[in-house]
Amino acid sequence: MIPEPGEGYVRLSPRKLLLDPVKAVGQMVVPVAIALIGISRSDTKFWPIILPLAVFGPLVLGALPWLTTHYRLTATQIQVRSGVLNKTTSTAPLDRVRSVDLEASLLHRVLGLQKVQIGTGVDDDRITLDALAAPDAQALRTTLLTRRAVADQQAATPPVDQPADQPADQSLGLLPDQQSRPVAPPPPAPPAPAVALARIDWSWLRFAPFSLGRLVLLVGGLGVLSQFADELPIWNEETATSAWEWLTQFAVVAIVLVLAVGALTLWLVVSVAGYVLQWWDFRLVREHGSLHLTSGLVTTRSITVEEAKVRGVELTEPVLMRLVGGAELSTLATGVENGVTQVLPPCPREVAVAVGEAVLDRPGPLTGRLVAHGPKAHRRAWFRQLRNALDVIVLLALGWWWFDLTWWWLAAIGATLLALAAAAGEASYRHLGHALAGDHLVVGGGTFARIRTVLETDGIIGWVVSQSWWQRRIGLADLTATTAAGTERVLVRDVRLDVAVALADRATPGLLTDFVEPDRVPA
Amino acid sequence: MTDVGGVPVLRAPANRVSPQAVPFWTVSALLGDAVLVVAAVLVWLLVPGLPGWAGLVVLLVAVAAVAHVVLMPRIRYRVHRWEVTDTAVHTREGWIGRQTRIAPISRVQTVDSRQGALMRLFGLASITVTTASAAGPITVDCLDADTARRVVAQLTAITAATEDDAT
Repeated sequence: MIPEPGEGYVRLSPRKLLLDPVKAVGQMVVPVAIALIGISRSDTKFWPIILPLAVFGPLVLGALPWLTTHYRLTATQIQVRSGVLNKTTSTAPLDRVRSVDLEASLLHRVLGLQKVQIGTGVDDDRITLDALAAPDAQALRTTLLTRRAVADQQAATPPVDQPADQPADQSLGLLPDQQSRPVAPPPPAPPAPAVALARIDWSWLRFAPFSLGRLVLLVGGLGVLSQFADELPIWNEETATSAWEWLTQFAVVAIVLVLAVGALTLWLVVSVAGYVLQWWDFRLVREHGSLHLTSGLVTTRSITVEEAKVRGVELTEPVLMRLVGGAELSTLATGVENGVTQVLPPCPREVAVAVGEAVLDRPGPLTGRLVAHGPKAHRRAWFRQLRNALDVIVLLALGWWWFDLTWWWLAAIGATLLALAAAAGEASYRHLGHALAGDHLVVGGGTFARIRTVLETDGIIGWVVSQSWWQRRIGLADLTATTAAGTERVLVRDVRLDVAVALADRATPGLLTDFVEPDRVPA
Repeated sequence: MTDVGGVPVLRAPANRVSPQAVPFWTVSALLGDAVLVVAAVLVWLLVPGLPGWAGLVVLLVAVAAVAHVVLMPRIRYRVHRWEVTDTAVHTREGWIGRQTRIAPISRVQTVDSRQGALMRLFGLASITVTTASAAGPITVDCLDADTARRVVAQLTAITAATEDDAT
């Protein structure tokens, strides 16, 4: 049971007494083992002291947080008190609660517990209640989010005497005690029912191998394994050389094929397994004015983002995913520690667009045409990539010259790099563009991935027009809309200076008025 | 893109920075560049067996440093401008490139002023205005100290009057 507003402090779930010692033992097992080994070698007379310490220490340490952590709800705040010697009390005003996230590791789930994290906006530290019984955590989340909605509503609409307009059943259902008072403030509207925006469709599993985010983990894992491979006895020089001769004699092609197929199979298994683990039972729901995401097979996550704080969305189509028509969607929000929240697994582009439009509450920005940036921007896109490639080639050439290697290889690598750079340049220009769709700034970008960022113009809190020396010579500029949401900046690259000024002026009417001279004759 | 025939042009902000900024930038550039040039010359003198073009490189470094010290402060003084209206802060800065920054005062969160030891010597101070975006801080470099105090007071008064959390 969670406490009613005004009731006293309560403790976290008593099952925490099982959770924390297990975690504490997990953390202390290595140092304790080392200590025990050290002691057993030197002297055995300390055993009667050490052993109980090693066993009961974690238990006591684990139990302390439960004994000392209390929380309560008041009419306006949630308060959490913790600490043994240094008592700390964290409070969050209920109308400042921006997000309530629930998380459960495997251990949590076995015990029926959930960790609650309450985000309050501008400052980064969150109030954490680890852990509550799962139903309590749900109840607390609902309470906090509805209460916040109520607080917001009351702040937004000052109480007016309008009992006649008020449907009687609402007043009856919600606040029966107010029936006696004829000039009661209007009771809050009942929370809108939850609307499901998306849920997992296992045919989306086909996108898993094309999403390379997990590849980093896999490569890292292989790196760790290769550490052990060094230790294997086969890896000495003679076996290696004889094996190499055997290889070159018989089966280079076959071995390479087997390796490639093996790597591909491994990747398939890892990516699909990762997708299933992460997105099992995925649901995206809109309720209480928030977007609410739950997913996970082993560790379950539940993420809540207040919609009023969502300033836009970002649709990302990595190059491999585009081949199969897939996309990913993130929301850009203010007041959460990581402003970019991925709200959809890799899924078909149409689904991502539909959910994005539902979040934005308007169709169009994610699919509409963008204003292209013209031939000069096109040239710059090419030159930028070619220059990067040339930098690498020059460095490689220096290396080649230093080590006196065959130039054929350098030529081949250089040609490949240049071809790649040309492809990257062309792709990055094609992705480039901007538009103003009603009250949303739409920006296209990305080199290999196609990224479309949609930002509410209300969320723009400043502009930066930046020109390098080269850009000034050809009249282009980088326009950055600064914002508190997401990555805190949205970049419109290589746009004509006058177009940039006009765009900024139209996106935030009034802000630039003092500084714009509109009646210049076109140059 | 344009609405009414003419091409919209962002005009320069109204005010220049303090004229004292020129000697200040000159001295700070001199201090930085002198270290670099002295280091290059020392290497050239002390390391034996350098090829002939090493001397040329050192010479180029020295010439570039002199050009930097002489030209940079003057160009910069021409480019750097600032303006604070009732609704917005507008600055322009740079010397090779250009950055123009505009932020609405209603979204300003903090106003800091800073005065380094060298700046104090020239009677200068810088103001930094931050918004809720990490990409958005606006710095007005090298105002004379009195102007800086006045602007800070003005900005603080305006921002104190706005209430929401400016995101």
